[in-house]
Amino acid sequence: MSKALIIDDEQQMRRLLRMVLESRGYEVCEAADGQLGLQEAAFQRPDVVLLDLGLPGLGGIDVLKRLREWTDVPVLILSVRDQETVKVEALELGADDYVTKPFGTAELLARLDVIQRRRFTRQSPEIIAGALKLDLLHHEATLADAALKLTPTEFALIKVLAEHAGRIVTQNQIMKQVWAGQSSDPSEGLRVHINHLRKKLGESGPRIVNEPGIGYRLEES
Amino acid sequence: MNELENSFYVFHTFLTPLHRLFTGDASFHTQDRRMNDHPSSPKPREPVPVAVVGQFSWGLTILFVLASTCWVLLPYTGYLFSALVFLMAIVLAGTRWNRGPVLAMGVVSALVWNFIFIPPQFTLHIEKPQDIIMFAMFFVVALSMGHLITRLREREAALEQHHAEREQLLEAKHRAELLAESERLHRTLLDSVSHELKTPIAIIRTALDGLGQGNAYAAEIETANRRLQRIVENFLEMTRVESEALKPRPDWCEISDVLHAATTPLQKELSQHLLRLSGTDDLPLMMLDSRLLAQVLGNVLHNATLYAPAGTEIEIHAALTKGRLELRVRDHGPGLPLGTEDHVFDKFYRAPDSPAGGTGLGLAIARGLMRAMKGDIEAHNHPEGGAEFLLRVERVFQLVPSGTDSHQTPKTS
Repeated sequence: MSKALIIDDEQQMRRLLRMVLESRGYEVCEAADGQLGLQEAAFQRPDVVLLDLGLPGLGGIDVLKRLREWTDVPVLILSVRDQETVKVEALELGADDYVTKPFGTAELLARLDVIQRRRFTRQSPEIIAGALKLDLLHHEATLADAALKLTPTEFALIKVLAEHAGRIVTQNQIMKQVWAGQSSDPSEGLRVHINHLRKKLGESGPRIVNEPGIGYRLEES
Repeated sequence: MNELENSFYVFHTFLTPLHRLFTGDASFHTQDRRMNDHPSSPKPREPVPVAVVGQFSWGLTILFVLASTCWVLLPYTGYLFSALVFLMAIVLAGTRWNRGPVLAMGVVSALVWNFIFIPPQFTLHIEKPQDIIMFAMFFVVALSMGHLITRLREREAALEQHHAEREQLLEAKHRAELLAESERLHRTLLDSVSHELKTPIAIIRTALDGLGQGNAYAAEIETANRRLQRIVENFLEMTRVESEALKPRPDWCEISDVLHAATTPLQKELSQHLLRLSGTDDLPLMMLDSRLLAQVLGNVLHNATLYAPAGTEIEIHAALTKGRLELRVRDHGPGLPLGTEDHVFDKFYRAPDSPAGGTGLGLAIARGLMRAMKGDIEAHNHPEGGAEFLLRVERVFQLVPSGTDSHQTPKTS
């Protein structure tokens, strides 16, 4: 059974989230502000944290920074719309994903599932995302058991996305891992390669979904 | 007083042509006479025109007046007195005038002192050795005083200007800070209002999801909640557009991403219509704020779903020619009432028989956003029926489609 920590200043929101999560078998603890949230995180050792960005006092971003000083517990950001820059900041500080308020329960639960899946394990030389299989040992990709010809850059790119399958990856995170900050206008190269990858993945493969102003998400179809 | 007249004559003949030469001033005599009325005043100067030529002539005039006065007083004061008077005039002139005229005054006054006052008078010859020394000293003192004082004044002026510039800079900085502060305040307010309004909507949404599907009452609440959410978002967006707090952040984007972002939040509304795309596959990567463009497209599409009957097609046609991106959204509804083609973009405008549920803001926001992107949006009726909206962005940077390592080309229309 997973333990979830809800850090949100709205009591009603906490109560509802508790009901939703408990009905899914989660053990739930909650905190009404950032300071308490940090204490709860230390005492309760949750498996996943739901963190509201709009906290009074110690803000969501600061809570996240303090959390990341000592734990990699998966963190799901809850935020309202039009906070793209803050969302990106949170993601780059180590948040795992976000949902935008008002959110659907199904979406929330799906995101929670994805971010709790063990992050990429180095024990296996294979990454599987839907019909796509990446063999890291031989740098080979197959789509529905048919070989998929990819350039080295495309392979590096799909690897980053597949490692985080179902999760958002910010543009910066992708560029750091694929280009290591060596391209003059990496955004341009990124778009071009995404475009080529999409064509190669076709209709049957996983979809690379863009979230404007934030980044990309590989969705297993 | 024969001597006096004589010397006056000497000065007059000496000075008048000079003064005339410098200024062409015919009123010399009257001015001269007026000043002669107050011979004891050491600074018979009023705020003087700054022109250098004027300063030369005024300087000579003043020396003439002072020399005449000293000449009159010579029997009572001795010839050293006049040297001090000249020096004072030079110092005072230095506080106001340019260097040239002041130095000229120094030279002329030294010569005049020698010629008229140092015995033997009316020669440049000097008899006594101490007088020679004094003359030399006068010369040096007059010149250096004139030089130093004018330099001091120049520095002061430069300092003052520097100071004024600094003040101006500080003031500009202060203004900018105030503006930034008010912008920040505005943002904070908007954020907090946004949070306050959206939280209850989010709570209702989550609670409804908990109730589960199949409850007719819950479905009604959900419809109303969605409407409420749209209204709140539109109001906030309109505020943002009007406060000009909205700055496009262009980045390379694919039109398919724009379409995806525009249609995803509208899945429910669009489910009754058929969406048909054309021209979108041919577009290269473009430098655009895809989030804003998607929002505009979303608002226009939502508008179309409100007016076009269920089951009809909504067509989106995209084209990029000479750097101008055009997106046409055509529905097969009743079209726009005649004469309202431009009013539909007015804030709070509702078409006469439009269905309930709109805020009259969606298209106003669309126009605001398009203009923020240096583009525009227009509406007209399609010749074959239905309304057509034209979204246009000029000067779109695009990626030349051939090859991966292509160049960006600024296309201007």
